Amino acid sequence: MVEGFRPADLREALEFRSQHPSIPIAGGTDLMVQKARGFALKPDFDKPLLFIGHLPDLQQIIVENRQVHIGAGVLLSDLIKSDKIPAVFKEAISLMASPPSRNIATIGGNICNASPAGDTLPYLYAVDAILVLKSSQAERKIPVGVFITNPGKTDLASDEILTEIIIPDKKFGVSYYRKVGTRKGMSLSKASFTGLADIENSNVTDIRIAFGSVAPTIVRSRKIEASIIRKPVSEIKTAVPEIVKKYAPLIRPIDDARSSAAYRKKVSLRLLEDFLRNLAS
Amino acid sequence: MKDSISKPIPRVDAPAKISGEAKYIGDIRFKNQLFAKTVRSSRAKAGIVSIVKPELPEGYFIVDKDDIPGINRMRTVVSDQPIFAEEEVNYIGQPILLVVGPEREMIYDIISKIKIKYRDETPIFNLDEAEEKGAVFTEYSYSKGKPEAAFQDGLKIIEDEYHTGLQEHVYLEPQGMAAEYRDNTMFIYGSMQCPFYAEGALKDVLGWGSDRIRVIQSITGGAFGGKEEFPSLTACQVAVASLKTGHPVMMIYDRDEDIICTTKRHPSIVCYKAGLDRKNQVIALAIDIKFDAGAYSGISPVVLQRGMFSATGVYNFPHLSVRGRNFMTNNVPSGAYRGFGAPQTIFSMEMLMHNLAIKLGIDPLDYKIRHLLERGEPTCTGGKIWDEVKLPEIIEKVTAMSDYRRKIQSNGKYKGVGVALFLHGCGFTGNGEQLIKGKIILKKNGGTVILKVSSVEMGQGAETCLRKIVAHTLLLPMEKVTCETIDTGLIPDSGPTVASRTTMIVGGLLRQASLELKDRWNESDNIEVSRVYRHPDYLRWDNDTFHGDAYPTYSWGANVAEVEIDPITCEIDVKKVSAVYDVGTPIDETTLTGQMQGGIVQGIGWATVEVMNPSKGKLKQHNLTDYKIPTSMDIPEIACEFIENPYEFGPFGAKCAGELPFVGAAPAIAAAVSNALSVPIKNIPITPEYLMELDKHED
Repeated sequence: MVEGFRPADLREALEFRSQHPSIPIAGGTDLMVQKARGFALKPDFDKPLLFIGHLPDLQQIIVENRQVHIGAGVLLSDLIKSDKIPAVFKEAISLMASPPSRNIATIGGNICNASPAGDTLPYLYAVDAILVLKSSQAERKIPVGVFITNPGKTDLASDEILTEIIIPDKKFGVSYYRKVGTRKGMSLSKASFTGLADIENSNVTDIRIAFGSVAPTIVRSRKIEASIIRKPVSEIKTAVPEIVKKYAPLIRPIDDARSSAAYRKKVSLRLLEDFLRNLAS
Repeated sequence: MKDSISKPIPRVDAPAKISGEAKYIGDIRFKNQLFAKTVRSSRAKAGIVSIVKPELPEGYFIVDKDDIPGINRMRTVVSDQPIFAEEEVNYIGQPILLVVGPEREMIYDIISKIKIKYRDETPIFNLDEAEEKGAVFTEYSYSKGKPEAAFQDGLKIIEDEYHTGLQEHVYLEPQGMAAEYRDNTMFIYGSMQCPFYAEGALKDVLGWGSDRIRVIQSITGGAFGGKEEFPSLTACQVAVASLKTGHPVMMIYDRDEDIICTTKRHPSIVCYKAGLDRKNQVIALAIDIKFDAGAYSGISPVVLQRGMFSATGVYNFPHLSVRGRNFMTNNVPSGAYRGFGAPQTIFSMEMLMHNLAIKLGIDPLDYKIRHLLERGEPTCTGGKIWDEVKLPEIIEKVTAMSDYRRKIQSNGKYKGVGVALFLHGCGFTGNGEQLIKGKIILKKNGGTVILKVSSVEMGQGAETCLRKIVAHTLLLPMEKVTCETIDTGLIPDSGPTVASRTTMIVGGLLRQASLELKDRWNESDNIEVSRVYRHPDYLRWDNDTFHGDAYPTYSWGANVAEVEIDPITCEIDVKKVSAVYDVGTPIDETTLTGQMQGGIVQGIGWATVEVMNPSKGKLKQHNLTDYKIPTSMDIPEIACEFIENPYEFGPFGAKCAGELPFVGAAPAIAAAVSNALSVPIKNIPITPEYLMELDKHED
């Protein structure tokens, strides 16, 4: 049995993927922890590993038609350094893990790990990021919110590799990000909140709201967002309780080793409230 | 050499540690070595009905209770924990047997095939249940004045209760131990604080004399009490395994395994009944201390004693009664951890005084100052404060450094400042120093001097400080003064490296011996000078009634913490800690400042982020993903100053220092949070989840 394969290029990687059941691995900062069995033991992988972290094809950040194309193998630390990445996304990434982990962890890995606490996800959900999935035969593009189906579960086919993340051309005048962890560094999110908005002539022309770590997948509601769009900012303040009330049933966190469901829910709604009130002022 | 002893010098252990040359136990390999892995109880309380073992491949062994030639108990204060479980198990993670062999993969495979059948019994999971069922390991009490009469005398009575949680040491490297049986002798190598504790335990388990046992410390990182008694258990296990297999046996814990099965700081509940006179002065106090000792008593009786003897903190209450109980639960055994029971009772005492002051409308610091102990006054156990108490000077300095007086007036909502005053009893508790009679040897060999002590370097700077005391006395350069290897075959027993006793007690013996050696320097090229500890004559202690001087002297301190609370998330941001300490004379200001900063950070962790909740005897936070300690990003500005107050019997006047800084941080932070939110804080850790429940903000 093949235990691992290190392809020379993407074509070779896709070829391997089409012929073998396999686990694509880049930085391994999630997989190696999840599959660890003990000191000096081989991790518990049930399929051969396909190493893709080194492939140059996956490491570009390109702006095309004002859309940002991020290779799935781009390191978190490179995203922070890039001048093509929006500041609010960089803020979220810079609060992830530790500098050594960010120097090896990739954006594609964080997406495919599909954790509700994955800190790249709320922003990608909010901006309707498109994922490019390639196989040796075909290529498809799907929104990140469709790709991730459940905690740890994605729509990735056994012959596919996530190659690229496309950030649509859309600028937001207002952005807000808060991560609530146990400490300031090296902390998994207890809850996180991403709010983006555009305001023209004192009207909200666009708004995106995404919650992390408080439901099986990232929480976003186009319906509630639509109910806010086109409102004059002056009306937002009075609408805050009503908007918060609409989001409340969507926030369905759990009790776990890191925090409580009650705290996560309350803090998420408070952050929403804070974001909305700041919009209005 | 006219330099003050306090002037910093480079740490002697630093180059090897920085370069990576230092060999920790996990870096060491023996020829033909076997690995050992422990099979543990998955039940909190159960009888073992049967153990079905698979057929073992050649070269693989199972080592259990039947392989112990001597006594199947770990020697410590109360030797009640089996080395390997017998008919019953009493906590999740209790060791039952070892699987030993050359390949780790095969060991894991064998373990997966071992089937243990249990007969479950009703466990006890917390202090309330234990108290209800009367599951008490140890109960002590003492009193001072006439507390019962005082409470009858028309005092205003206020009752209150405080809780503190479990804390994991997160020492630098996980527990690791190796045994090599050769030349009719058992050689033990490992990460440890107390080689002679391990030797004692091995004598019982092997049934041998110390002439056939050598315990050798490998490089040990910051251990904080976690390598005090626990390594005795693993040392005995690998020794028995090496004896059975005829091979060197190495056992290194994974961090998760380590967290699940090793000792922790005792969770505590402290209840108070305070009697206040017409001036609102606390003149009578009844204290009821409850510690969760876990499944075995072990070292807990002495932890409880220190907790009880420190229970009144820096205050003098004329009428006092103190009751202390260690409860038995089916949680992982609690054990030694920096401060040794005192941080729990002093946290509670400081918060009681803080909360009383707030309730009475008095400034907390002023209220505390009204109750301060002074020189010549009785200690809580009826001993005497023999030495000068520089608390007024300490308080003046810390309030000036932190601008406390202005900030306590001006701080608004969500911004707070808090003060804690504290002490730490130096050296062993009660008659501990007289019992152990620490011994040291100094040996002149030509132009060099070798120190023979059992005090170990574990990142705290002991080697630098002890060598510096000798070098400074003999006017020799540091490199001419070296330490003998920590090997029980080569060194005398100067006592364990615990209780902040290394500098003051062992350093004190070295100072005396150095002075003698200095006088006799020209006698010959080979001179040996030794010293055995003698308790100062004026100290009195009755270990049956707990009356007298529980400690030879005390170190003192004050902390001011400043915090900001996020109004939305209730996260605590510790902005600054100002700290002033009286540790006698600082032996090395840089090393000491490092100790102080480290102690404060560990205290911040205990007070805020270090959440460890057992659920039915199983720890919910059992890895470093879920059990968080502060990172460098979480460390606030720390301003640290020392007040000189030389102690007659300490080397160059030095007193104890290692545990003191841990004691003060938590109550200072809790007081600051209380100030920021105008709520009484009675429990730690203070989590955002807890504060969110207290905070009525806009809800």
